[in-house]
Amino acid sequence: MTHSVSAKRVGSIATGRSGDKGDVLDLTIVAYNEKDYALLSRFLSVERVTDALARVAPSPVERHELPKLRALKFVAPRALPGGVQASLHAGLHWQKAAAALLLELPLPMEEQE
Amino acid sequence: MSNPPTTYVIGSGAGFAGDRIEPAVNMARSGTVDAIALECLAERTLIAALRNRQANAQTGYDPRLRRRLAPLLAATGKRCRVLSNLGAANPAAAARAVRKLAAEAGAGDLRVAGVVGDDLANRVGEIEWMEPTAGGEWIGAHAYLGIDPMVEALAAGADVVITGRVADSSLFAAAPVHAIGLEHAALAGALTLGHLLECSGQLSGGNLSEPGVPDLTPEEYARIGYPVGELQRDGSALIRLLDGEPGRINVAGCTLQLLYEVHDPRAYITPDAVLDFSGIEFEQTGPNRVRMTGARALARPERLKVIGFLARRGLVADIEIAFAGTGALARARNAAEILRLRLTREMNESDLRIDLVGVNSVLGAASLPLAAEPPELRVHVSARCDDAQIAQMVEDEVYTLTISGPAACGSVRSERRPRIESITGFIPRERVPTHIEWGHE
Repeated sequence: MTHSVSAKRVGSIATGRSGDKGDVLDLTIVAYNEKDYALLSRFLSVERVTDALARVAPSPVERHELPKLRALKFVAPRALPGGVQASLHAGLHWQKAAAALLLELPLPMEEQE
Repeated sequence: MSNPPTTYVIGSGAGFAGDRIEPAVNMARSGTVDAIALECLAERTLIAALRNRQANAQTGYDPRLRRRLAPLLAATGKRCRVLSNLGAANPAAAARAVRKLAAEAGAGDLRVAGVVGDDLANRVGEIEWMEPTAGGEWIGAHAYLGIDPMVEALAAGADVVITGRVADSSLFAAAPVHAIGLEHAALAGALTLGHLLECSGQLSGGNLSEPGVPDLTPEEYARIGYPVGELQRDGSALIRLLDGEPGRINVAGCTLQLLYEVHDPRAYITPDAVLDFSGIEFEQTGPNRVRMTGARALARPERLKVIGFLARRGLVADIEIAFAGTGALARARNAAEILRLRLTREMNESDLRIDLVGVNSVLGAASLPLAAEPPELRVHVSARCDDAQIAQMVEDEVYTLTISGPAACGSVRSERRPRIESITGFIPRERVPTHIEWGHE
């Protein structure tokens, strides 16, 4: 099967959700089959996710692989200093949309075969 | 004595304080659930409740108590148990209010238990805090209680259990654990199911967009059904919707919710057990029906988590001003730069956030590029201020743009928030005694 040359993003092959507890931001990405889980496991490295987050909420990132669930879990322990209440964002809870930081990442063409 | 049941059906009636009322009422009317748990206590809600209690010692529970429970208790009566943390900062007063409300609602003579003991405001010095707490004023401190006091209340015949701060997974697990027993796998299954159910619609199709699949329609979202879990004695569970209710329960959604707000999926700490989610498997067994197996529990933690709220000096001023029409984006950017120039003369740039609502206020520098000029947008400013005078100065600088800034701006809105930080701590569990206060006493 050939893919179109238009850029695919992580969100074309996976779903995601973000949450917070205290000053910790967490992001989950779930793939729909083994092949895409393997692809995302390669692509969403700690370095790449740290870079994606750095533009918004600089923090070290921990990564957990959950192959049985075809899920990747990223935890950024210092992304929300002081917790949600201390945020300067309009409406405070911007992190409910933070999964977009990963879902919007374009997949490299060689990974789209 | 008869054998305990082999299946227990627990419904998710609410996932936060402001959640919809009717999903739980529909669940109760269906007559197919044994208990409904309603998670109604976020950090923000608890802080508001603590402030209310400070003003009036008889308050401090969720102000939506009547709106939420009058229709629900009228539908449940004694047929279906109800558990909720809407007691917030005053579960004993809430239990008395619920007891009175149940009689008025025609629900009968309900036994309403208030679980007391999570409030550690007078003992902050005994808690091992994970961050420095000097220089702030304590608003409150609450331990996350586990299932034990709720199971005790149910064993004493409670129809309704009202708590303050308890772990969300424990709030949903208490009734099935009481009914089925405390076997190891069943406890792990009950807590894992509780963790899944505690965000209501987020398990049944809310906050879920999937590649290649249309979102639910507005009509479906508007009356989305909340999930119920059928827990088996072996700790496995079926997650499903009530017959005929719109929503989406699938493997991807269950997986997202399993890992939601979890930091170590192999060691998710609840007051009752450390859970290992890495062996969980979900299987779609029918439309809007997913079976969960593989729940595992490790040891019970020796310490309870505590959440403390510290008021820092000063406040946050939060103001927006709108621009519309041709060139709105350029004028808004101009205004944002004016504000930066003006405000950094008075305060540190690190205490300021200036962005454009409609462009980059949520994801900042990672926002998608603009595809076209927006017809309108808002400049947003938030500033940490040492006192009200400085907050007034920030507000005035934004208003002044309407006269001395780019053309055609207006629709200013502003708010002031106290500066509150949430601090995590721990305390040995034996140092947190609990007791029941009955609504009729």
